[in-house]
Amino acid sequence: MDLSDSVLDHLRVVAALPDLTGTRYELEGEIGRGGMGVVYRARDRQLGRRVALKVLDSALAGEAPLIARLEHPAIVPIYEAGTLPDGRAYYAMKLVAGTRLDWYVAKSLSLAERLRVVRRVGEALALAHSRGAIHRDLKPQNVMVGEFGEVYVMDWGVEAVAGTPAFRAPEPSLDERSDIYALGALLEFVLPAPPPPALGAIARKAMNADRSLRYPDVTAWLADIERFQEGLAVEAWREPPLHKVRRFWSRNALLLWLLTAYAAVKFLLFFWGRR
Amino acid sequence: MDSDTAIGGPHDQFPSTQRWLLGAAASGLPNEALERVAALYWKPVYRFIRLKFRKDSEDAKDLTQGFFASALEREFFARFDPAKASFRTYLRMAVERFAANAHAAENRQKRGGGVEFEPIGEEAAATESPEAAFDREWQRQLFALALDDLRAFCDSAGKRLQWLIFEAYDLEEGDRSSYAALAQRYGIAETSVTNYLAWARRTLRGLVMERMRGVTSGERELREEMRRVWI
Repeated sequence: MDLSDSVLDHLRVVAALPDLTGTRYELEGEIGRGGMGVVYRARDRQLGRRVALKVLDSALAGEAPLIARLEHPAIVPIYEAGTLPDGRAYYAMKLVAGTRLDWYVAKSLSLAERLRVVRRVGEALALAHSRGAIHRDLKPQNVMVGEFGEVYVMDWGVEAVAGTPAFRAPEPSLDERSDIYALGALLEFVLPAPPPPALGAIARKAMNADRSLRYPDVTAWLADIERFQEGLAVEAWREPPLHKVRRFWSRNALLLWLLTAYAAVKFLLFFWGRR
Repeated sequence: MDSDTAIGGPHDQFPSTQRWLLGAAASGLPNEALERVAALYWKPVYRFIRLKFRKDSEDAKDLTQGFFASALEREFFARFDPAKASFRTYLRMAVERFAANAHAAENRQKRGGGVEFEPIGEEAAATESPEAAFDREWQRQLFALALDDLRAFCDSAGKRLQWLIFEAYDLEEGDRSSYAALAQRYGIAETSVTNYLAWARRTLRGLVMERMRGVTSGERELREEMRRVWI
């Protein structure tokens, strides 16, 4: 059978579309491709709401059932999972409106806002790891920031077929510490250039090629960022003495200024009394 | 079938592949898999050679046939390592090496080492690269084979009407009839048109994947290759 280019392209489209016969969903359009499938915008006819429908390339639902049990504000809730008539697995999720992290950080943001977003991602990962789930493909394209600043980590539990190398740990078999590597890469990605040395060190420690030299868990990574934000020494960086003095000064500036002022007044009163 | 590129030429569509298929079977791959390789890749290889080495139709056919025969003699299929590349890429690169060597040898004979190009025909005037043309022909042939399978399945399963609806809509060039017009033409409800099309597309998808499964090394390669097929 001879096929023209236009018929071939038409077939490539229609044969790829999910067959939603017998489901409660009506296809509206494609949102994006990633991980092991395609995400569509669909309408749930029964509840009259829009959902994101992820259709996987295979019959395996991946970690959808596990992710569905993770309840966290930064993890997109899964409403339902099932199998299409063509054998592909799918799951319906909350349709998130927002901006991808790579676009979001392209705007001029404060360091505090950049750190808020990555910490939120870290908190979601910490919960997932505590329940035995790993992300496997964490990268800016899989993080969304909503219009009210809410952060969502998307595309859980699917091994990147052609993932972005910069965010993927070098080890062939991925585990929780591979997610920590990706968190380090994510932190490095959102930081302004040049980054504060302590934050750069936190990112590098998380991205150590030897997974045993990374943070032992996400909680330890979060704690180091918190230490930085509170003006304390971070675990990842042995700071030079001058930096230590500067940090001590900026952390206790008010007290130090008061002490200096007190000493100055005492000094002046001492000489005034001798006259 | 396009007589110009038909396997074995216009008057002999399939038999010439038989010898090298049997040779490959001896190197460890099942007959069915080898037949699928030949059915799927003959046209892409032919087109790639035509564009890359500017061969006329007959020379390109000879080289294509020669490539598969030579590949089997050298246990080409048995040496395929899925960890290094997809089978499609491995085959295309092997074709390029084979045809380049043959082309160079031919020119040495003719001119004592000089490079000679054949006259540029309509194929060479195409704007796409030989590699892109190879991939495009691979997609086209994959669907053509799956459509043959779908038609045969519809005939044997008593689903002639489903095929006719599908043919009238999805295989139509240019402006497509509306579902309502098709329903009227075949005397069925419009919802039946929707359902028949959904069934035919779903079945076609399965048949495309089945064809691809026969020429890939496992689920991972199959998944990656299918990503190049769907839009």
